[in-house]
Parts: sequence; structure tokens; C-alpha cells
Amino acid sequence: MAVEVEGITKRFPGVVANKDITFAVRRGTVHALCGENGAGKSTLMKILYGVQRQDEGTIKVDGQEVNLHSPSDAIKVGIGMVFQHFMLADNLTVLENVVLGAEKLHGIGSGAKNEIKRISQEFGLGINPDAMVADLGVGARQRVEILKVLYRGAKILILDEPTAVLVPQEVDELFDNLRELKAEGLTVIFISHKLDEVLSVADDITVIRRGTTVASVDPKDVNARQLAELMVGSELPTPETSESTVTDQVVLSLRDITMAGTEGRDLLHDIDLDIHAGEIVGIAGVEGNGQAELVEVIMGMREPSAGTVMLEDTDISDWEVREIREAGIGYIPEDRHRHGLLLDAPLWENRILGHQTERPNVKGQLIDAKSAKADTERIVKEYDVRTPSIFVTAASLSGGNQQKLIVGREMTHAKKVLIASHPTRGVDVGAQAAIWDLMRQARHDGLGVLLISADLEELIGLSDTIRVILRGKLTGTFDPDTVTSQDLGAAMTGADTPHDDIPHPTDPQDVR
Amino acid sequence: MKVAVAVSASTLALAACGSGTSKETSTTTAGSGTTSSTSASSSTSEAPKSDVKVGLAFDVGGRGDQSFNDAAAAGMDKAKAEFGIETTDATAVNGENEAAREERLNQLVDAGYTNIIAVGFAYAASVGKVAKENPDVHFAIIDDASDASKGDNVAQLTFAEQEGSFLVGAAAALTSKTGHIGFVGGVNVPLIVKFEAGYDAGAKAVNPDIKIDSTYLTQPPDFSGFGDPAKGKTAAEGMYQGGADIVYHAAGGSGAGVFTAAKAAKGWAIGVDSDQAKTAEEGVRDVILTSMLKKVDVAVYDYLAKAVKGENAAGNVIYDLKVDGVGYSTTGDKMSADVIAKLEDYKAKIVSGEIKVPDTK
Amino acid sequence: MSNPLVRKLMLSLGAPILALFVAFALTSLVLMALGDPVRDVWITMLSTPKPRMITNVVNGAIVLYLSAIAVAVGFKMNLFNIGVDGQYRVGSFAAAVFAGQAWLPGILNILVAIIVAMVAGGLWASIAAYLKVQRGVSEVISTIMLNAIATGLVSWLLLKVAVRTAGSNAIGTKVIPESSQLEGWKLIPGASNRVYSLLILAVIVGFLYWFVLSKTRFGFDLRATGSSETAAVASGVKVKRMVMTSMILSGALAGLVGMPLLFGQDHSYGTTFQAGLGFAGIGIALLGRNHPVGIAFAALLWSYLDTQANGLQIRAGVAPELVYIIQGIILFAVVIAYEGTRRLDIRLEQQRVARELAAQRTARQTEGAVA
Repeated sequence: MAVEVEGITKRFPGVVANKDITFAVRRGTVHALCGENGAGKSTLMKILYGVQRQDEGTIKVDGQEVNLHSPSDAIKVGIGMVFQHFMLADNLTVLENVVLGAEKLHGIGSGAKNEIKRISQEFGLGINPDAMVADLGVGARQRVEILKVLYRGAKILILDEPTAVLVPQEVDELFDNLRELKAEGLTVIFISHKLDEVLSVADDITVIRRGTTVASVDPKDVNARQLAELMVGSELPTPETSESTVTDQVVLSLRDITMAGTEGRDLLHDIDLDIHAGEIVGIAGVEGNGQAELVEVIMGMREPSAGTVMLEDTDISDWEVREIREAGIGYIPEDRHRHGLLLDAPLWENRILGHQTERPNVKGQLIDAKSAKADTERIVKEYDVRTPSIFVTAASLSGGNQQKLIVGREMTHAKKVLIASHPTRGVDVGAQAAIWDLMRQARHDGLGVLLISADLEELIGLSDTIRVILRGKLTGTFDPDTVTSQDLGAAMTGADTPHDDIPHPTDPQDVR
Repeated sequence: MKVAVAVSASTLALAACGSGTSKETSTTTAGSGTTSSTSASSSTSEAPKSDVKVGLAFDVGGRGDQSFNDAAAAGMDKAKAEFGIETTDATAVNGENEAAREERLNQLVDAGYTNIIAVGFAYAASVGKVAKENPDVHFAIIDDASDASKGDNVAQLTFAEQEGSFLVGAAAALTSKTGHIGFVGGVNVPLIVKFEAGYDAGAKAVNPDIKIDSTYLTQPPDFSGFGDPAKGKTAAEGMYQGGADIVYHAAGGSGAGVFTAAKAAKGWAIGVDSDQAKTAEEGVRDVILTSMLKKVDVAVYDYLAKAVKGENAAGNVIYDLKVDGVGYSTTGDKMSADVIAKLEDYKAKIVSGEIKVPDTK
Repeated sequence: MSNPLVRKLMLSLGAPILALFVAFALTSLVLMALGDPVRDVWITMLSTPKPRMITNVVNGAIVLYLSAIAVAVGFKMNLFNIGVDGQYRVGSFAAAVFAGQAWLPGILNILVAIIVAMVAGGLWASIAAYLKVQRGVSEVISTIMLNAIATGLVSWLLLKVAVRTAGSNAIGTKVIPESSQLEGWKLIPGASNRVYSLLILAVIVGFLYWFVLSKTRFGFDLRATGSSETAAVASGVKVKRMVMTSMILSGALAGLVGMPLLFGQDHSYGTTFQAGLGFAGIGIALLGRNHPVGIAFAALLWSYLDTQANGLQIRAGVAPELVYIIQGIILFAVVIAYEGTRRLDIRLEQQRVARELAAQRTARQTEGAVA
């Protein structure tokens, strides 16, 4: 075994990024680590490369337990990292870039040049050491990065989302290179969430979900659908709703919403969506397909290029965020640390956030601290926020309790619509069940709810209607009573449309 | 040894950035304050003792500027050696408050100094105020004759800088081969404009068509132009490249940069205040054509000589060409006898009143 | 429940005190390394100031306080207004020119001149604000540039309007009429000099700063933007307008910096007007942690060091610039210590929250068992 990872756990304040990660990589293979964005891949990768230290667990390289305190420790035991974002100086030659920081190995002159030529030859990288990096294409630059790592003596290469920046032809070339590397006895750890790539190049696949390893599979035994299912999960407590409370009264209506992207393709394209009072509309999709933009358009944080947003009978397309929130739309943001909380402020001030103009938080232009504090106490009690007091900072709460505070705050002010973006991401199972209850309560209270989630069970369990978003378009409508996660997974990746050639969200052509 | 202070750059005191940190280093190596006074008095132990205790308050730059402040210090040091008086000095911090200047004078009073000399016009108001509060202490201020500093116990020592500058201006015009000369002022204040006005008049008296480049390194209240050789060098380089072959500086410590630029451009420079062909860095002394002498040392020495004798020195004393309070130097014999003869001619005409030198532009 | 309060107090006082000791020790080392008289230096620096010097300390602190509050308004929003220096210069000059005309009598002249200073400072800052909002120019860069431009502009205008007095080499604006000169208060017993009357201005500004930031909607929005811009946007704060407003506010406050000097001491704006106050304000705002009371203490400490350093050369034979080393080390140490205590604070609080929650859980379980 080239690398054995056992029981790796890494905690950050408020969240557990990695929990009991365990897998083994065979020498001379390409081993794929795949999982959704935010599943904990990047933390794991940083631990393997010595950038961060695990709180628990062991890493063995060639059977020897290693202690990685820094990237230089990692390179000493033969682990090298090829970053997604290249770290090359444009105005230097390949030789200079490769030698930079490793001058002691083969000097900086002809010795180094010969070594580069030898490595290039041996692994078929086709690199000319005298070329200026500025003149190289993306694929070639990536090969320079790989060469840099090999030059430093790496036997185990970690590639972080290496195909994200490549066009299809370059992806093929890269995979040829990887096969060459493993033929020479090197080991490659390949991080990706693109299923077809993983299946085509990997010898083994380890799936990470919610910060932990959920399966190790052989690519010959699985197809893209099964892999997608593994990535999004399906074994959680079922979030089922009781009988329908859907009314025929439309509370939020989107018409022809289009948002132009920078590279020609629309980030959102002709979105039509109605949400009724008492209805939960679920949006399924692989991350990065327009969900974030959709939410930001509704909340007034971004301007669409075209289309209208109606709240009941009022056109709110041109309203500001504050007006929209005042009008009764609650917002549970996808990234609560970035958009939902002031981490270093006490809970009662966080209760004011987003509703700085509404009672009980303010009286005229002044903050009504007394009422805000009293109402925070109420939220803490009603929504079961576990905290010793309302004066501790938001940062000191666990992720689940932070989220419950946000949900409580937003439900207090959401009179008509609740936008919930990944409401249970990164929270423990107990809090998750509580939040599901709260969503059901909102629906029962006659709110229209837009639920965006990567957790298919959650979507199927809670929603009255499920829409699939793919590349900025709403592509399908499913009835949660009849749909399976497999169907959804396929629709999300476009795998249900066989004529569609490359069925993943961040299509290389679009990225470039 | 004293602490060289370059830390201002590393703190957030950006204003002080580069304002002559190198200068202050040389100040400190030159040695000053109590340390130098004790060593000096021990070496001249036979000198007669006197009750006069002299405190000298410098403006920004202090000892080691090879120019204005050093001249004042030289006058005091000479008096100390001859009369055996006790002396000390203190230097201003760039951009300081009026209260800080008052406080410096008060500290000297508190420490028992009987004669306090404030070097520079910035002290005008503070001298006036502190002198009133301490009628038993004698004060002198250099470069100010305003009502603000006037008092029964205040000597106001001023100079006719324009007259000396007239002579070096004439010297520049007589020596220049290109008919193109320059002037670098430290800070754009009326005092320095006096230098420029005299210099212009002198040059034009010789050659009415002469081209004169003129620049000031900083604008008040930024007084770093008196202590920043790098700025002086840049300004002078521009003039030499533009065709000037002689540059006169009235920029205190920044003048060192003018000399460096002159050396590189193989041009001439004219020093100021002290005889800079003697006081400048050795490597650049040979580019100094002459220096406009503003004999602050003489003024300080005269004042102290009177003080030792117990004479009252209060009132305004003007040091002009007539009393040899200003002039030009001939160290190094860079000017021909012919030129010197013409300068002496101008000098006589100024002393006689035949030529009136303007003091503003 | 006193436990968290005590912890907060210890942490927030501990850092600056620690920083002072570090500065003391490092400065001593520097002095020793250069062979300077360490003992004499500290005797001078730590000697009991005379009443006259206490007045100077207070006066210096008043001006520094205003400057630091101006900087702190920006800091609260993560805006680095390095331009207080230029803004106060522009403001002081404008007010001096206006007050010198004596169009209005006595106190009224002062009040309107103060408004003139705020408007001038605010307008000057609005250039940087506009560039940031409309063109994305970093306020750090633009305000540094604007400082240089302010210096040049004010000098140029000063030469135009300057009044020269016979025999003087200094230049300044027209002296303000005597009826508008503030004599000051005899607050320090035994001092021959007086505390600036505009101490009251500093008190008012400090109070308003506290009130607006912690008690108003606007203040909440401003702090939210500083704490997390993304969260502020999501909460409905119009960040661009906020940047504009707070930058102009910061500039307007910067305009006040020179007012105590103008009306209480110099009576005109000229070549000897105090410079560099804006930069000192940055350090003091940091040291005082942007808190109105903290800044007051920091300004007093700063001013105390400045004043005490004046006698260094006379009494210890050491250049007064030594005080820059002390101040610089205090700042470095305090910034490091604050970051350290901030992290410690978060960790301690997280531990405490976890502990108390665990305790609650056990309590509930025992209760349940009893029932």
C-alpha cells in the first residue's frame, strides 16, 4: 500500500470538516477521491500535504506512519501536490520555475536541465525546459506542475480537480500522462467530482460525503448513477412530509429570468418558477449549476439580465435586498458563515442581522436592544438553540445551533416566502431533524418555501414538487412521491440524456 | 553614542518616512549633548570658567547637517572652548506641535541654562512666550525679527541672506559655460525665497539672459526638504541633465545630494551657510565652486561673548555684508582671480548701497 | 456569570499592559546595545511630569483623540483611511482661512469654522470614497496619494493667502480675531498653561461615536459591514453607499483634528502647524481597539510619551526620536497581543459554551431521573 489513511478527523470551530476518514491507496494505481463540493475533500487533501494537521487519525506511507507538519515533510516522504491553480511565474522559463526552491537537488544549470529532460522523456510529458511559461497553454502548464513535483522526488502525486481548467482534448492527454505515471510505478490520488472522468481513469474510487468516507468501490462495478447516489447519500433519516397543504395561491413567481455569464453561456436561462402558499418547491442540482444565482436574484443581491420576480401581485424585480426582506421573504443562506452571521458578534446582534429595519429590533433609527434581546431569548427557546446565553458570540456555537438560530430568525420574519439554501448542510443529525420539522412547520403555516439542497433524500422527503437545475436551466419536474434518488441523480448530471456528451456541471468548455 | 532613529518608517509614522533618517544617523555619530560637552570641557581644562550655561535648541535636522545647524553649533562650541561655558543642545522633531517647542525651551530653563539660543524661525512664538515667563533667562533667536519673539531679554539675530546669495549668483553666472544655472531650495518658505531672490539678482546682474532653473524640495508644513539628500540629488540631477552646469542649494542637509549629483554630472555646486568645501563629505568637496556664507557661527559666538561679559544683547542684530555677517568662500581656489575681483566689486557696491538686493521674488 | 466578564476584562487589559512591558524591555535592549544610558532614559521618561507638562499631555491627547476617532470610524468598517493626515490639513486650512476673515463674531465664528473644517475634510475624503466605490481603487492607495496632493495644495494656497509679519520668516493665514480665540481652561492645578477649551469637542465626538455605532441602525449596518461584508450585503446593507458615507464621515471628523490647535494655540494655519497627526491617529486607534474609552487612554499614553521624550536630549543625552521606537514597539506588540488574545478569547468561549452545555445536559438527565 502506498498510502493508508485511517480515522482522520479534523474539526474547525462550529463544523467537523473530516470525520473518521479511512481509505487505502495501492501503489502504481490512480485512486480517485470523489464527493460533492464541501464534502471535505479539500481539507483531507491539505492534511495529506501537511498544510493542516489532523486532530485524530494516522497516515501511513509505504507502511510507515508519518507525521506531516508542513509541505516539506510531505515531499520528504514522497507526497507531491499539483494544485488546481497553477503556481508558476509567467516571466520565467520552465527550467527556472522547476528549479525555484529546489536549487539544491540538481543545481540550476545543465544538471537541472538534463534532469528535466529525463523526467519529461520518461513520463512522456513533452516539456522543453527552455520555453517561457508565458508561451505555454493550460495543458502544458499543468504538465510543468506535474514535472515540478516529480523533480522534487515525489512518488505519490495528489491532483486537485486537475481537469477543471482543461478542455476535453487536454483532459484526454492528461489521462494518458497519468497512465504513463502509474505504469512507471508512481501512485496518483485524483480528486474530482466529475463522475465520468473518475470512472474512466481511476483504478479505485473512494467516495466522501459529509466529511467522511462512505464507500470504496471498483469503477468496474458502478455506473455514474450509482456513484452520484453514493455522493449525495440516501441513508439518512427520512424527512417525510404529511399530507399536502399546497394552495392555488402563487406567492412567488419567476418569469423568464436570465442572467448572462461572462463566457457566453447564461448562468441562468429562462427560468420560470411558481411557488404556492403552503408548498415546498425543491431544487435539485449538482452544485454550480445556477442555484446560487437563482437565490441571489430572488433576494435582490444580483440583477438578472432579463425577467421578472413577483411577490404575490407586486413586481419586486428592482427592489433592494432590504425591501425584499421587509416584504416578508426569509432567507437561509447557503454559506451561513459568509452570508448569515456575524461570527464575532453576540447572538442577540445576530438576531438583528438581516432585519435591521424591523421590529422588535429597532425603534425608528435606534436599535432596540432590550426587545431584540428578549426576542433572541424566545428564538433560543422555541428553536432549541443550545447556548449558555445570548451574549456568547455566534462563532462559539456548533454549526447546527448556528443554523437553528438563523432558521428561527428568518421564520420570525418570513411572512410569505422562505428561501432555504442547503439548510442542513454541515449540521449534526439531531439538528437536521429539527430543521426539517421547522421547514414542515413553515409549509404548514402557509409559507411558500424554496428548498435548495444537495441532499436528495431531503429534497424527496420534504418537497411538494422537485425541479432539476442543470447549467442554469430548469430541466425537469418530478413528483417526490414517485421519483427515486437514482432518477434525480441522473437528471442532475444530465446522465438521463444520452445524447449529451459530457454530463457534468462544470463543463471544461464553460470554465475556460 | 545616541540612538539612530529610523524606526519611524516601520511604524505608521509615514510622514517621517525618509525625512533624513540617514541624516540623523550621522548626527548621532557626530556626538552631541551632554556627552560631548563633558569631554570637550575636560580637554580644555585650562580655559576660564564662567557662570553662563548655554542651551541650544535646534530646528529639524540638528547637528550634522553640514550647514545651518552645524554653523550654529560651531559658534557655540568655539565660545565654549574659549570661555569655558557649559553647553547642551536639543533638536526638534519633524512636524511637532507649538507646545513641544515651548516645552523644549522650558526644559532648558528648568535645567538651569542661563542663555538659550533658538535656532530657526519656527521658534519665534515659543521664544516670545517663554522669554516673557522667565525674565531672568536670556534668549536669542536666529532668523526671526518679528514682534512675536521680541522681548527685553531676547536677542534677534538675522541675516541678509540675499546679499550673500547675490554674490554667489554672480559667481555662478561668471563661471557658467552654458549660460544655464540652477537653484535648489529646501522648503518653500519666505526665508529660502530670500536666497533665491538674491541669487537670481546676482546672476542676472552679470548676464541678463541667463537661464535659471529653480525648485523647492518640499512644501511647508513638510520640512523634510531640509534633511533629505535623496530629494536634493533627484532635483539637481534633473537640472544638470537639462543643461545647467552650476547649482546653488539652500536646502540644509539635502545639499549633500546636490553635491553627489554635481559630482556625477561633472558640474559645479554652490554650498550654503557653512564653508561647505570644508564641511561636506570629502569625496564631493572638489565640486563646490564656492559657498554662500551665512555666519550663524559668528552670530552665536558674538552673542555668547557678550553674554560672558555680562552685556545685554537684546534687540535685533542684522548680519549683512557690511559687517561680514554673510559672504562667500574661496576654499579650494575654484574661482579665478578675475571672478573674485568682480565679486569684490559687487560686494563694495552692495555695501555702499549702490546695489540694492531684493529679498523677495 | 461574572466569569465571562472578568475574562473579557483581563484579556482586553492584559494585551496592552503586556505590550507596554515588551516595549519597555526591547527599548532597554536597544539602548544597551547602543551604549546609551538606560537608567537616565527611563528616569526621564517615567519622571513625574510637572503640571505644565500634564497640561501638554492632555492637550496633545485631545488632538490625537480626534484623529484616532476619525481613523476608527473607517476601521470599524474595514476601511483604512490613511488619509486623515491630508483631510485634517485641508480642514484646518479651510477653517483657518474662514475664521481669519472674521465675518462672524466670537463663538459663532468658531462654530461655523468648525463646520467649514468638517465639510472640507469630508469633501476631501469623498474623492477617495468615490474612487473606491466607482472605480474600485483601494482607499489605502488613494488616500496616501491624496495626502501628498493635500500637502501640495494647501502649501500652494497658503502662499497665495499668506500674511507676512514684519521681520518674521514664518508664514501663515490671517490670525483669527481675538474674540474667536479660546483661552483654555485652568484644569491642571499649578500649571502656567491651559487645557484647550475644545476638550469639549473631543468629549462630544467620543460620545457621538459611541452612541451612533452601538445604538443606531446606521451604526449596526456599519459594524456589520466591517465584520463581514458578505453577511452585510445579504442583510440588505448597501455596501457602496455605506463606504461612501463612512469615508466622508471619517473625513469630516478628520477635519476637526486641527480645531483645538487653531482656536486654542496657533490662531492661524501656517508653516509651524503641527503635522503628522493623522498617522499617529492610526496607531492610537489600533491601540485603543476602536473603542471610545480605549482610544482616550491610548491617546493619553501616546501624548505622555511624546511629552516626556522632549526632555530626553537635555536630561539623558538621547535623541527624542527614541520615543518612535517605544511607540512603534508598543504598536507591534499590541497588534500581536490583540490577535493572540482574540484567538484565545474565541477558544476559551467555545470551551466554556461546550462545558456549560454539557453541564446543562447532565442536569436535565438527573432531573429526569429524579422525576
